[in-house]
Amino acid sequence: METASTQNTQDPHSDSPLVSEGSSGNSSPLVAQLRKLLFRRMLIGVNDGRFFLGLFHCVDKQGNIILQDAVEYRSTRRSSPSPMEQPSLGLIWIPASCRSSCHVDCSIEEHMSLSSLAYWAMRLFGSRAKLGIE
Amino acid sequence: MANHGGGAAGEVGSGGRPLPLSSIPAGDHTVWADASPFIEAACNDLQDGELVHGENFSLFAAMSALEIMDPKMDSGVENSGYCSVEEAIENGAAPIPLSLDRTIDVQRTIDVMDHLLACEATWHKGHSLAQTVFSCIYLLRIERTSSHALLHSYCRITRATCNAIISAVADARTHEEEDLFTMAYGLPLKGEGDEKCLSILNSVEETISRQLRACKAPSSKKKALEDLESLQTNPDLEEGYCRAFLCRLRFRKHFYHVLMCLRKPQGRGLELARKHVASCLSELASMYKSLEFLRSVSYGSAQEDSTTASGCRPVGFDVSLNSKLSAPTPPRAIRLLSWKKAVGYFEKLLHDLNVLCAFTLDPMLEDTLRFVVQFQKSQPDLVARAHLQLLLVQDGKLCGRDFFCDVISKALALPELAKDQEFQKNEFVVQLGQLVINLLKILCTNSAWQRRKLGKILQDWSVISMQLELAFKREFGEMLNVSIDENICMKVSKHLLIWAQEQTYWIASRFLTLGFELELYSPTDYCMVYWYMYVVFVKLLEKMQMRIAASSDNSRRKGKKKRDHTKDSGRDAGVSSSCLLLQCYIFLSEGLAMMLAALCNDCKVFQMTSPFNGEEERFVQHFELLQKAQVPEHISYYLFKDSTLHARLFNVAKHNYFREAQRIIASLKGSFSGEPDKLLEVRQLEQVAEHNRIALNVVNQVGGQDSSLKVSLEFTHHPYFAVAVVKRS
Repeated sequence: METASTQNTQDPHSDSPLVSEGSSGNSSPLVAQLRKLLFRRMLIGVNDGRFFLGLFHCVDKQGNIILQDAVEYRSTRRSSPSPMEQPSLGLIWIPASCRSSCHVDCSIEEHMSLSSLAYWAMRLFGSRAKLGIE
Repeated sequence: MANHGGGAAGEVGSGGRPLPLSSIPAGDHTVWADASPFIEAACNDLQDGELVHGENFSLFAAMSALEIMDPKMDSGVENSGYCSVEEAIENGAAPIPLSLDRTIDVQRTIDVMDHLLACEATWHKGHSLAQTVFSCIYLLRIERTSSHALLHSYCRITRATCNAIISAVADARTHEEEDLFTMAYGLPLKGEGDEKCLSILNSVEETISRQLRACKAPSSKKKALEDLESLQTNPDLEEGYCRAFLCRLRFRKHFYHVLMCLRKPQGRGLELARKHVASCLSELASMYKSLEFLRSVSYGSAQEDSTTASGCRPVGFDVSLNSKLSAPTPPRAIRLLSWKKAVGYFEKLLHDLNVLCAFTLDPMLEDTLRFVVQFQKSQPDLVARAHLQLLLVQDGKLCGRDFFCDVISKALALPELAKDQEFQKNEFVVQLGQLVINLLKILCTNSAWQRRKLGKILQDWSVISMQLELAFKREFGEMLNVSIDENICMKVSKHLLIWAQEQTYWIASRFLTLGFELELYSPTDYCMVYWYMYVVFVKLLEKMQMRIAASSDNSRRKGKKKRDHTKDSGRDAGVSSSCLLLQCYIFLSEGLAMMLAALCNDCKVFQMTSPFNGEEERFVQHFELLQKAQVPEHISYYLFKDSTLHARLFNVAKHNYFREAQRIIASLKGSFSGEPDKLLEVRQLEQVAEHNRIALNVVNQVGGQDSSLKVSLEFTHHPYFAVAVVKRS
C-alpha cells in the first residue's frame, strides 16, 4: 500500500530507471511512427476470438498493449458469425502472448503508407534477424 | 464506410474461422489497417523497459488495468461453455420438457427446484445474483417455461421473491459491505406477469393435491377420478413425487407471503407473517423428509454435498453464461451451499424473522434498543437484518407510527411534551431524532460495520451533549434559585441533556463489547479493555440514575393519581433492575481489569511484549474514537496506568468484586423471572462471577511465584466477560 501511494505521488516516469520518457531517447523512425499511433482507435483480437476496441494507450518492448476506454466484442454463437455484445471495460492490458491480431483505425492513404512501412520494417527486421543468426 | 471495414476482414483470421470484423465498423472515411507487423518491428526497436505512451499515462493507473485472458480478472474470458443463453438453449442445455419420459421429467424438475434453492441461499450469503440464482437458464428465459406449468410457476415465484428481497435490502441500505447483493445489472429480474405468480402457483398446487388425492384413493373410487391425468407414469412413485412437489411449492408460496406481510406499513402484517413463517418451517421439514424418497428413486449416484435432495446434478444451469455480468467484481469461483445447508439457512432465516415478528409495536426506545441487540445475538444474516431495519424506521417514524420527537419525549418520561409543538420544533430535539434514526439503522448492520459506525457517531452524540450543556448553562446559569416547577423549559433541557449523555455511554458500551464479538482484542489488551468498560459503565449508571431521579422527582411533584401507582411501581422495578444489572457489569469489569492487572504485576502473565507497539500505543489504537469524542472526559492512558499499576493479588482478592456481583445477581434473578433472555444473561453472569472468584482465590493462595501455574482466559460462559482458568502445568 505504501509503495503504491508513493508511486502515485511521484511522477512515475521521471526518476524510475525502468520506465523511460515516451518522447525522448529513442531515435528509431519506427518508434516515432508508433508514437503517432497513440490515442488512435485500435482493435485487438485475442486468442479466444474476442475483440477489444479502445484507444491505444501504451505498449512495451514485449508488445503488451494497454487500451483505454475499451469495449469488448464477443460472438454470441460459436458456429456462425452473429451479433456482438459490447460490455465496456475501461483500461485493459492485453498481453502480447494472447494477441492474435491488431488493427488501427486510419485513413485509406495512411493505410497504404503503414503497410509499406510495415513491409519495409519487416524486411529490415528480417535482415537484422539474419545478421544475428550469421 | 462499413464496407471498408469489411474489406479489412479478410486480412484478419485466426484458427481458420472467419472473424466478423465487418460488424465492428471503423470510423468515417477510415479503415481498419493491420498494424501487427509494424508494431512488432517497432517494439523490436524499443529499449529494455522502454514504454511508448502518451502524456496522460500513469504507471500507477496502468497497474490497475484489467488483464485480458487472466481468469481472475477477465470476466469475459472464453471458457469451454456456451457463448450465449440462446446458444446454450439451441444445444439442448435446458430442454422443455426436461425429459420425454414423464417420470424422469418430474425427477429433473425437482432437481432444478432444489438447485435453485441452494443458489438462492448462496446468494443470500453474499455471492452475486448473476452467478447463483441466474445461472438457471430457465429463469433467464422464463417465457420458454410457460408450457411446463410446474417449472414455470416455481421460476416465476422464485424471481418475484428475489425481487422482493432485493428491494427490501436496497431500501434498508444495511448492505454497505454486502453491496454485491443487490447488483442485478443485465439480468432479466423484472418481467411482466410476476404479479400473477401466486395465482399461477396456487392453480399448480391445486392440480397436484388433486393428483395426490387420486393416487391415494381406494381403487373403487379411482374410476371417478380417471379423467384426471396422473403426475407421471409410475403409479408406485406417484404419491412420493406429489408430496415432494407440494412441500416445495408451498414453501415458496408461504415464503413469498412472509416477505409481503413484513413489508406492510406500520408492522401491520407481523401477526400474519408469523403464521406464514410457521407454515414455511413445516414445509421445510417436509422437504427434508422427501430427501429419503428422492434419493431412493434417483437416477444417478448421490453425493453428500449435493445441491439437490436426490443427489443428482440438475439440468439447465450454467454458471459461466452470466459471469461477464457479474462485473464490477472479478469472476469468482463460487461454491454453492449444499441443498441440506440451504434448507438449514432458510430455517435460520425464518427463525430470525420469527423473532422479528414478535416485536411489540409501540415500544419505548430503551426496549427497542435492547430488542435489536438481542436480535443481533443470533447473528442474523443480511435479509433478516434488512427487514428489522425496515420495520423499525419507516417514513422517519419508529415502526412508521411515532415521530422520533415523541419517542424522545416518551424516553424522557415527560408525556406532557408529546404533542407540544415547541418541543417538536426544538433544534436539539430534531437533531437528536435524526441521531436516533441513524443509531437504529446502524444497530441493524453486521457487527464489523456496526462497530465502525458506532465509533463514528459517538462524536455526533458527544457534540450534541456538549451543545446541550452549553445552552443549558447559558440560559439557566444564573437562575439556580428558580424552582423546577416554575420553569418547564429548564426541566426539559436538563432531562434532554441527561438522556443524551446516557445514550452516548450506551453507544460506547456497545462499541466496546462488540470488539469481543469481532475478536479485536488480544489477551494482553483485556486488562485495559475491561478497565475502559468499567469506566463507561460507571458513567452510564450515573446518567441512568440521574434520569430516574429527575423523572421520579417530576412525577412526585405532579401528584400522581392513585390508579397510576401500580403501573408506576411496575416500571420502577424494571428501572431499578436494569440499574442493578449495570451495577453487576461494573463489578465484573472492574474485577476482571484488576485481576488481570494483578496477574500481570505479580505473576508476570498477560504482559505486553510486542516489538511493534507498546501498551500506550495499543491503548490509543483501541480507544481513539472514544477519546476523540471525550467519552468519558479526562480519561487517558496515564489514568489507566495509575489505577492498575499497584494492583496486587491479595488486594484484589480482598476487594471481592466477584462476590459483590454474585450478591446482585441473586437479587436480580427474581425480578427477571418472566423474561427468559434476561434470565439467561443473569445466569451467564453468575457463572462468570463464580468461576473468576474461585480462580482468583486459588492464584492468591498459591501465590504469584509458583511458575507451574498457568492462567488462561476463556469466553465459555459469556460473550464478553472472560472466565479465568487456572491449571497446573
